[in-house]
Amino acid sequence: MIEHVQFFIKIWPELFKGLVVSLQLSAGALLLGLAIGLPMALMRTYGKGFIKTLAVGYIELIRGTPMIVQLFLIYYGLPDMGILLDRIPAAIIALGINSSAYQAEYFRGAILSIDEGQGKAAQALGMTKQQAIINIILPQALRLVLPPWSNEVIYMVKYTSVAFLIAVPELMARGKMIISWTFKPLETLFWVGVIYVIILSVIAKIVDIIERKLAIPGFQMSRED
Amino acid sequence: MTKPILRVENLYKKFKDTEVLKGLSLTVDEGEVVVIIGPSGTGKSTLLRCINRLTEPDAGDIYLGEHKIESGKSNLSRIRQQIGMVFQDFNLFNHLTALQNVAIGPVKVKKTDKKKALKLAMKELERVGLADKAQSYPAELSGGQKQRVAIARALAMDPKIMLFDEPTSALDPELIGEVLEVMKDLADAGMTMMVVSHEMGFAREAADRIVFLEDGVVSEMGSPEKIFNNPEKERTREFISKIARLHGGDDLELTYK
Ligand SMILES: Nc1ncnc2c1ncn2[C@@H]1O[C@H](COP(=O)(O)OP(=O)(O)OP(=O)(O)O)[C@@H](O)[C@H]1O
Ligand SMILES: [Mg+2]
Repeated sequence: MIEHVQFFIKIWPELFKGLVVSLQLSAGALLLGLAIGLPMALMRTYGKGFIKTLAVGYIELIRGTPMIVQLFLIYYGLPDMGILLDRIPAAIIALGINSSAYQAEYFRGAILSIDEGQGKAAQALGMTKQQAIINIILPQALRLVLPPWSNEVIYMVKYTSVAFLIAVPELMARGKMIISWTFKPLETLFWVGVIYVIILSVIAKIVDIIERKLAIPGFQMSRED
Repeated sequence: MTKPILRVENLYKKFKDTEVLKGLSLTVDEGEVVVIIGPSGTGKSTLLRCINRLTEPDAGDIYLGEHKIESGKSNLSRIRQQIGMVFQDFNLFNHLTALQNVAIGPVKVKKTDKKKALKLAMKELERVGLADKAQSYPAELSGGQKQRVAIARALAMDPKIMLFDEPTSALDPELIGEVLEVMKDLADAGMTMMVVSHEMGFAREAADRIVFLEDGVVSEMGSPEKIFNNPEKERTREFISKIARLHGGDDLELTYK
């Protein structure tokens, strides 16, 4: 037992560095995904003609291709076009673009689930369509989207491990490095797993607190119970 | 003496193959309370929604005062501000408290200072007897309370005319009275109102005129006495006696007293 703990203490500094990178990737990709996903959801829901087609095409293209293809395309493919990205930005962009398509669909689902009378009542007061979307529809849709969105946060932290395929020094990549020095794959992967479990439950807890803070009577969060 | 505030002229609207409004014309004078009755599917809601352009009519003109209502953007917002609308299913904004529901119109549409708007909203809530529910969310209110907040929300825009589309038909019977009472007070205060409702007690007590809509046109109209006691058309008499059985009001006793 003692020796396991000693092993952990020895490898912890390396794993910690990896964890920090994993969290940076997650946060960057989630924000990028939000920044692209929300406009895409609005374009797909309210847009017409070319705008709508563009959004549908983007979302379905991204959701229809494996993430690893997207990652390799951005890291190995873009340099052919003269765009050279460092590993970490390349990983954030690939993960972010991938996430944006899924986030767009979460947002669209939430927007569509809002009763159409809400927008009608807003327009009857004299709000323009945009005002109704910004002041009435989105605040409600964003609350509804929190449960699926928090799942996306958790997926994302796990998905960042694919970045080790382009040698981003995240948690999984550090684990692999440690294995190659120590020849102890089982113990190393055990501790990597423990760190993932702990960090994910901390994140789940934080998301839960946020959901509670934002809860409003009548917007029952489906993740409770 | 009386001057028309709303003029509907030759309104036509069809959905796909169903012709709903077939050249409907109707004028409402300032301060007048017009109650609209008519069979289901005859176009009562469509008429109200054409007036504030939630639905686009196919043909015909509508004037609010001197201004023709058209679907150009800025003009439309200005017109809608002057037309209060109360829906059958309330449509309160679910993420806002009662007070915020009433204040949001003035704040976002009229750009009223926020503090001033909240004060105004509180006054409107008092007017409908719900000052103590200011901080409640819609999910915490009864149907009758929701509808009263919805009325306050419309009033906060200081409209020239109020449109009501079956404001009590989604309510449990014991909650209808409180809403009708608020509407009655509003009528007494001189508000111009166009009310689609089959509450005969309210119609007798508050209406200046009853309009019987059928087949997309005004079939008959007149004072409550005339329509209830001496309608010209047999069809009107039949319809009145049918709704009297369903909605009470077969005597002069008000259903909500
Ligand atoms: N958006 C729409 N699309 C297609 N048909 C519609 C639409 N709105 C209304 N209709 C049809 O138009 C007709 C008139 O509807 P409307 O709601 O105006 O009637 P109403 O007099 O208000 O009836 P009710 O008493 O049932 O409320 C109905 O046949 C209805 O099905
Ligand atoms: Mg109707």
